[in-house]
Amino acid sequence: MNTEARLQRAKEILAPFARETLTPEANRVDVVIDAADLTKATAALKSADWGYLSAITGMDLGPDAGQLEALYHFCDAAAVTSLRVRLPREGQPEIDSVADQVPVASFYERELSEMLGVTVVGTPDPTHLFLPDDWPDGVFPIRRDFKIEDAAPVERDTPKVPEQGRMGNKFIVPIGPQHPALKEPGHFEFAVDGEIITGARMRLGYVHRGIEKATEQRNWIQNLYLLERICGICSHTHTSAYAQGAEKLAQVEVPMRAQAIRELVAGLERIHSHLLWLGVAAHEAGFDTLFMYSWRDRETVMSLLEELTGNRVNYSISILGGVKQDIGLEQSRSIHKAMDYLEERIRYYLDVVTSDAMFLQRTRGIGTMSRDEAILYGALGPTARASGLERDVRVDAPYGAYPKFPVSLITDERGDLEAKFVVRLKELLVSCFTIRTIVDNLPTGELAVRFPRKVPAGETVSRVEAPRGEAFYFIKSEGGESPTRLKIRTPSLCNWTSVLNKAVGHQLADVPMMIAGMDPCFSCNDRMVTVRRKDDSQTMTWAQLRAYGIEKYKSR
Amino acid sequence: MITTPNLINKVVSGITTWARVNSPWIIHFNSGSCNGCDIEILATLTPYYDIERFGIKLKGSPRHADVLICTGPVTRQARDRLLRIYEQMPEPKFVVAVGSCGISGGTFAGCYNIVGHIDEVLPVDAYIPGCPPRPEAIIDGVVKLLTHLKNGTRPEPIKPQLGEQA
Repeated sequence: MNTEARLQRAKEILAPFARETLTPEANRVDVVIDAADLTKATAALKSADWGYLSAITGMDLGPDAGQLEALYHFCDAAAVTSLRVRLPREGQPEIDSVADQVPVASFYERELSEMLGVTVVGTPDPTHLFLPDDWPDGVFPIRRDFKIEDAAPVERDTPKVPEQGRMGNKFIVPIGPQHPALKEPGHFEFAVDGEIITGARMRLGYVHRGIEKATEQRNWIQNLYLLERICGICSHTHTSAYAQGAEKLAQVEVPMRAQAIRELVAGLERIHSHLLWLGVAAHEAGFDTLFMYSWRDRETVMSLLEELTGNRVNYSISILGGVKQDIGLEQSRSIHKAMDYLEERIRYYLDVVTSDAMFLQRTRGIGTMSRDEAILYGALGPTARASGLERDVRVDAPYGAYPKFPVSLITDERGDLEAKFVVRLKELLVSCFTIRTIVDNLPTGELAVRFPRKVPAGETVSRVEAPRGEAFYFIKSEGGESPTRLKIRTPSLCNWTSVLNKAVGHQLADVPMMIAGMDPCFSCNDRMVTVRRKDDSQTMTWAQLRAYGIEKYKSR
Repeated sequence: MITTPNLINKVVSGITTWARVNSPWIIHFNSGSCNGCDIEILATLTPYYDIERFGIKLKGSPRHADVLICTGPVTRQARDRLLRIYEQMPEPKFVVAVGSCGISGGTFAGCYNIVGHIDEVLPVDAYIPGCPPRPEAIIDGVVKLLTHLKNGTRPEPIKPQLGEQA
């Protein structure tokens, strides 16, 4: 089914609820609905199996308009349908939760409520998602009249952690935020019964900086460098997604050569990111030799990135309207040489992770997620593809140079940790092949075209496949020198649900591997989550706990 | 041989300085960084740059560490954790701030969830500027710190000024 047919179908499904139907771009349909119809409209899309909920954007239309707007973006291949709900700005804006239908929506809804002050009725956990515990009540950073002075820390006697989050009388193993296995801060609490996990909870927000708000205070060009620093690992993904969206709004046609160079750097970034992950994941399994090996080989691609772009980490190759550096004969030789080496090494790693008996004991059959579960939890990227779910923006909705230099989709049916290793390593081989193809067939032409200082008013959705999955950008311009609203949804966020749900029932010792299996990236997704508990909560005093222990011991 | 308390002290402190300079154990905490500095720090620990040849080892517990390597601006949520980790470290302890945003707030200056740069929260002994600094720069910064430890002095940090080329 092509994009038009999909959009047509979405229109038909949503016709009973539609107040107004707009087609802002060729691949998008916006349906304005009443807040009361939201759950029904979501259910209709879900029962018709139309796409997945990709993000919820909350917007403040300003004190003059007196309205807030929530956009529920559903994506099906290249087609994007947004349900637009208008809410009053004053008083108590309320909206119904869709988290019972789409579990991953609980994160988005909490973000909506704390950032914009919309009360989401029936959301599983209404507490803070990104914002710190000492954040004052009634201050919402994404509202237009937000002032940083209003957000002064307030003293609270009790931390704003929900009581049920304490998980009753279970023994809780806290992990993080500073932890040897995790290089970034995230806090996990695993309730255990002996060695078996019975509940999982996480608290993020340690690296939430407030980038979405900051973009509104910087101009279009400055934002490129700010957004690059959302994540040091997939920096090119963020600049690509942002540049692509801004170029669409400004109606700037980027030369094909620049598009191809962007895809090439994206391929190199994928190699560096997956090799980094391979090392860290092996380290979690106690396989430090593989860690050291893969990081040694990763230096090959780091040096290559430095040669091509001048930087090892934040490459800044993309500019608005094109790319900065060209690829010459000398660079293409280096690329081929590096690919020769890397392909050989990747094949070796593929052999190691599928044949090393000790390693397989840590990966085979651990954390198995079926395809249906992957759909339910809204998994993305290699985490989804390892469960046989064919979800890859590069294939479903090719952007930039991907129609010209396509990539093949790698999936694995098994869904366990081993499959995640296999999928990622095979993807690297695909990336190596694509990089070679691009270098050999680099289109001729300009590197960049002029980009205007002011971008015409409009809204756009930009989706890019990051090494971890789909990155979603919603950009709104009102014709000024900076965006009016920029919403970012990064892939790690969607994958947390799957990991925390799958951890229940496994041994505690498998947890680091399972967390590593989704390749978490805290800096981009920083949020806070509570998931699945088997028992209702209750608090025990020390004496009760002691009595319980003695009783349990006697009854053995 | 006549031993005096002074001589014993001297010998003991000589041995501890020797041990500290030859095996400074580090702990790393990201208080709001974009990851870029963290992966470069990790890269310095792996075979290509191999910072272990200076006896440097990454430890998991603050109680084992001599040097705290911090990255990123300090966010409101991470501030208490950063202080807690610092307080758990045994004396003498040293702090290295890695990356532009840990030094000056960098690209995140003015964001609503940022408390400030690292030296507004902790006393910093060495600054390693860059966005992110190259692994060589990180090694250089750490070696400079070690040189000072050897001489028994606390380094006088020269903080890069805003606007100055890093």
